[in-house]
Amino acid sequence: MFIFDKLSILFVFLIMLGVVPNLFYSFGYLPHIKRKIHYLVHYFGFIASMLGVVVAGNALVFLLFWELMSLTSWQLILTEIEDKSTIKAARFYFFMTHFGFVFLLLFFLIVTNGNLEIDFNSMKIIASDFAYPTLLFFFAVLGLLSKAGVVPMHVWLPYAHPAAPSPVSALMSGVMLKVAIYGLFRFLFDILSNWQLEWGVLILILGAISSLVGVLYALSEHDIKALLANHSIENIGIILLGFGMGMIFLSLKLPTLSAFAFMAALFHSFNHMSFKSLLFMGAGSVLHQTKTKNMEKYGGLIKAMPITAFTFLLASISISALPPTNGFLSEWMIFQSLLGSASIDNISLKLAIPFSVFALALTGGLAIACFVKVFGITFLGLHRSTNAKHAHEVNMMMKIGMILMSLVVVSLMLFTPFYMKLFDGITSQLLHVSIYNKIFPNIWSMHSISDNGGIVSPLILLAGLIVLTLSIYAIYKSLNIKHRVYHTWACGYNTSAKTQYSATGFAGPIRRFFTWLYVPDEHFEKEVIAGHKTKFKDASFSVHVRPLFERSLYQSSVRWTNKMSYYVYRLAHFEQSRYAAMIFNILLSVLFSYRIFVHEFSWATLALESVVMIISIKVLLIGDKK
Amino acid sequence: MILYIFSIMLLIFLAPLMPSFMKMVKMYLLYKKPISIFQGYRDFSKLLSKEIIISKETSAITRIAPFLVLSPLLLTLFFLPPIVSGEYYVSFVDAFTITGLISLSTFFLMLLGLDSASSFGGLGSSREAFISALVEPAMILTLFSVSMMAKNLGIGQAGINLSLHFPSAHIASFIFAGISFFILLIAENGRIPVDNPETHLELTMVHEAMILDLSGFYLLLIESAGSVKFIIFASIFVSLFVPFGLNLPIVLAILVFIAKLFILAIAVALLEVNMAKLRLFKVPNLLGIAIVFAFLSLITFYVLGA
Repeated sequence: MFIFDKLSILFVFLIMLGVVPNLFYSFGYLPHIKRKIHYLVHYFGFIASMLGVVVAGNALVFLLFWELMSLTSWQLILTEIEDKSTIKAARFYFFMTHFGFVFLLLFFLIVTNGNLEIDFNSMKIIASDFAYPTLLFFFAVLGLLSKAGVVPMHVWLPYAHPAAPSPVSALMSGVMLKVAIYGLFRFLFDILSNWQLEWGVLILILGAISSLVGVLYALSEHDIKALLANHSIENIGIILLGFGMGMIFLSLKLPTLSAFAFMAALFHSFNHMSFKSLLFMGAGSVLHQTKTKNMEKYGGLIKAMPITAFTFLLASISISALPPTNGFLSEWMIFQSLLGSASIDNISLKLAIPFSVFALALTGGLAIACFVKVFGITFLGLHRSTNAKHAHEVNMMMKIGMILMSLVVVSLMLFTPFYMKLFDGITSQLLHVSIYNKIFPNIWSMHSISDNGGIVSPLILLAGLIVLTLSIYAIYKSLNIKHRVYHTWACGYNTSAKTQYSATGFAGPIRRFFTWLYVPDEHFEKEVIAGHKTKFKDASFSVHVRPLFERSLYQSSVRWTNKMSYYVYRLAHFEQSRYAAMIFNILLSVLFSYRIFVHEFSWATLALESVVMIISIKVLLIGDKK
Repeated sequence: MILYIFSIMLLIFLAPLMPSFMKMVKMYLLYKKPISIFQGYRDFSKLLSKEIIISKETSAITRIAPFLVLSPLLLTLFFLPPIVSGEYYVSFVDAFTITGLISLSTFFLMLLGLDSASSFGGLGSSREAFISALVEPAMILTLFSVSMMAKNLGIGQAGINLSLHFPSAHIASFIFAGISFFILLIAENGRIPVDNPETHLELTMVHEAMILDLSGFYLLLIESAGSVKFIIFASIFVSLFVPFGLNLPIVLAILVFIAKLFILAIAVALLEVNMAKLRLFKVPNLLGIAIVFAFLSLITFYVLGA
């Protein structure tokens, strides 16, 4: 019923690392939640169900806890129900998560032959006999990755995360998405055995696209929590880049490279859990003080909220993959595994993988830009609203939560060899190769597995940075330089909250460069003075970016469904005979398509049956021309 | 080890010379009376004796960030390729880490721009974020390609490998990577087609806008960071893409290395004199060229083996 192998234990560990600081934060946050009982019941139910999913030993338990996880998180999104947008977001989340659930159910129904209580080993036997393993793979991917928020099933994230209370966003983004990654490990290694090369390529492509799309939409966002939600899409993409490389290497029989890539994916899962939880906690504190999610209303919060600001800064550096933080180390590992593609023989694959390198590098660059924007606009400069002016540091419990989470980030940075040892246990269980000794010959330096791979020494880097910074600081102190406090030099103009750069303005150049993707709706209104175009006393500029995938994939499918149903409605026209005719035609087409696509295929019957269908539709449904 | 420390000292000594040297060459070519090559040192000593003016709008970031802008770059100096054969070099840090350290420095520089609540600072940060985001992929791809030719991703080992076995079989991809890296050198150091280091006009400035509000010792730190960054890029360029002279006798090897640096500086100065600054939204085209060359380098290496 339950299994406790290394993989499960590792993910239990991940969940606990994410949950324990979150508990403190959550209790600090509790006074601001109106429906306390509702919140607490679902909060603990959510944690328990996540733990249940990762230790589930058979399909029934897995599906039960998976569904429980979806339902409790759905109710948690609905905690602050007064807001209209919350209900919309929750409905969207409910739909998307059940969309995924359907595929998981289909997957399990096939691999268990309908008996949902058998364990994973028996499922593996059934799955290996199944004639269409790629179909199973697609079911697993659709089911799990719609939960993980991978493009194009990422659309719910930027709605659900802002609507949920901040501790819940931290849990959902930091921990729940990793449960989907756990599912990917479990399904691919324990159930599906004979992998195709194309599966790995598909995961790699999904990862590359998700990482780019996530970070690009994050840049255009000025709702701080929606921005962080978009970064979750990006980071899941990065994890999938590692995962996809692992699958490709394993299909090509390169187990050590594969183990390295899977370890990179696991490490990035841990790192993303740590820094994203911390970022959401910081965002929650800011939101709680300023009563708004709009970044344009923040500013100067570092003076009033130093602990929030500096923990947020640590997380920002880490998520931007800057050395010597943990985020850098895992992204470095993923780069190294992408570079390992040089030892692939398949030339087309070899030429294609540099595009993933490109995607990952561009993602890294844009993530730096984005986090300069978030940190700079939120915490630096002058306050842009009265709420931001009167903000003060949050209560003790919330502070403890943030400090504990930043300790998790620091521990991932300092004790990388320890975590690697854990991940090595997983890969040696799954792939039967142990590469820990190759990665860490000593604890100081971390080696890549690929032929001309690199080396990084996180601790030496950290020590070097600290020593150099302190020695420059010591020189500075010994010089005993005079200080004078004066106002900002803005070339003779006054500095005020309105003359600073805004978040929209900061992302301006990037938005303009990627305008083909964003297709922004820009509104610029100004009140000109005496007909001069360039002289105005009041102006307002607003820009709204509608996500491409939502517009093209989701809204247009809604539009097409509406259109189709309109035609069906016109055909039927409330006449019973027409309804009957329609049912008859549908029945006919089902029978015919069963015969053609499942039973046996021949062009002659296809042609004949099409003619019959067309005549039947014409005669029975459309009728004579009026 | 002595040579190693000497070479770092040499680079630190040369760092302030390079920008002044480039300015000198430019002024000479424009028939102006050239400034002294030691102008960098004069600025240094002058800034050292000045008081620091801090804006009242700033936060702790302004007091921390200048140190963190300089220290990653100083740390990078320890990881550069050797300039003399047999010299100690760092083998435990690879090229990605170096790009990461440079990005770390840029990250704090951009925060510094946003801290003083001035519109100029935000303007500079925003533009710098835009440019450095597009530099990143070209940089990684170029390093990927070079690591393939040098058979190592560590910059020190790569420098030695390239000088011992010049990749004459892969000369095409080598040159493509070189072109790409040269464009990146210009873009990352804010030289003319991308940014004009000498102007203080809001239409054109990028780097200067971010540091407009700094003074005294803080400005000194940032200015030194700028020159250190140039010397890092220049020495990586001359060690990886002009890998000659490493095996000469020590004194000669050092002289050849310095000569290569100065020739590179002259090349950059010539480019600056002959080109106008690009509009900000034309800069991606230039960086796009760098990305395309990096890809070309990889593809020729893989497909043609040339």
